[in-house]
Amino acid sequence: MVEAFAVASGKGGTGKTTSTLALGMALAEEYDVTVVDADTGMANLLFHTGLGDADTTLHDVLLEGGAPIEAATYERFGMSVVPCGTSLAAFEAADPERLRTVVAELASTTDVLLLDSPATLGSKSAVLPIVLADRVVVVLQPTIPALSDGLKVQEYALSYGSEIAGTLFNRVRGDVGDVTAKADRYFEGPLLGTIPESEAAGAARAAGEPLLAHAPDSPAAAAYREAAGVLDPRTGDADAVADRFRSAVIPEPP
Amino acid sequence: MIPEGELLRSRVVSELSDSLEGALDRRLDGYAVLAPRDAILFDADGVGVITFEAGVPSMAYHTETDRGGPAALADIGAGPYRLELHELDADALDLPGRTDALDVPPGMPADRLAGDAALAERTRRIAADDADADDGEPDAIVEFLDDEAAIERIRSDARQQAAARADEWGFEDAI
Repeated sequence: MVEAFAVASGKGGTGKTTSTLALGMALAEEYDVTVVDADTGMANLLFHTGLGDADTTLHDVLLEGGAPIEAATYERFGMSVVPCGTSLAAFEAADPERLRTVVAELASTTDVLLLDSPATLGSKSAVLPIVLADRVVVVLQPTIPALSDGLKVQEYALSYGSEIAGTLFNRVRGDVGDVTAKADRYFEGPLLGTIPESEAAGAARAAGEPLLAHAPDSPAAAAYREAAGVLDPRTGDADAVADRFRSAVIPEPP
Repeated sequence: MIPEGELLRSRVVSELSDSLEGALDRRLDGYAVLAPRDAILFDADGVGVITFEAGVPSMAYHTETDRGGPAALADIGAGPYRLELHELDADALDLPGRTDALDVPPGMPADRLAGDAALAERTRRIAADDADADDGEPDAIVEFLDDEAAIERIRSDARQQAAARADEWGFEDAI
């Protein structure tokens, strides 16, 4: 039983990785959750989960004759975490053909798969998580560039047959009720939540912990838990999802 | 310290005004590496690094003295310099373990290294505008969201782009 979500924004700095891990930790209270750093060209997840010195990462799994996926899967904070390494050389040495098998394997052993997606739509590998996901969580900020890029992510997702799980307004300062109400007209899916800007998010990253582990009582953590409640995963047939990953197009290395 | 960016230019310069202004005008995300002109190896005597976010100087560091911020600017000192300008995704500049000790005020490199008060002032003004924009300016955002025709253009452009790239990227099956 699995539903795959891509957490995407099209623009950097919106707090995708923080959001991915926060939603993952909140959902892990009820589901078996696996979080994958699908931003293979610019790894980030490892720094948020205290895995900066991880011996084996997704890159090693993607090497010809590489490590098994289990070796790059770490049980952290109640979730299975699959980080990417930071070496571009390692990524270039990786065999992208193995990616679909790897992700299909993960899909067959978890309830909820969260793909932390690249902050761009500029390449095939960046768009792939959106194509593979059942539903896309669009992370927005109340700024014109973030809204504009979020709309593009949505149109890509819908064009490629993925649904929109909803929108998450992150790093919000003050009252943005007008903005979220007006944005709602253009975005599919519900407003999952409005996450207040939080110094705790930066502190959590510096400590190598997800926000919900570092500052579970912060207003931002509470807002993420509410958002996860709205997400309501539909844990579908694992074999169907695994098949889709296997048949998906494989990105070229950048 | 910083992931390697794409080298935009490498040259010897006697003063930094043009380079700093160029970075500002193109709203560069990236960094400059500055070494004394006579240095044979780029890091023989240490180099200074200044990072830019949307063209505005944000951090400075000197590899030899291991000092950051305004102190690093002092360590970089007077030209002529060998200058390398690199472009790098802004996210990559959001370094783990980044501390305030590396921060430089936006106009300070233009003031201290280029002696260009006008450029320093212009840099400060642009940095202040950027900060306002980051704060969201709700009125401007609401105005943007009220322009249904403009929003529809963004959406339909994205749909066309997605369709065109489906061919290019082999995603036809997904459509």
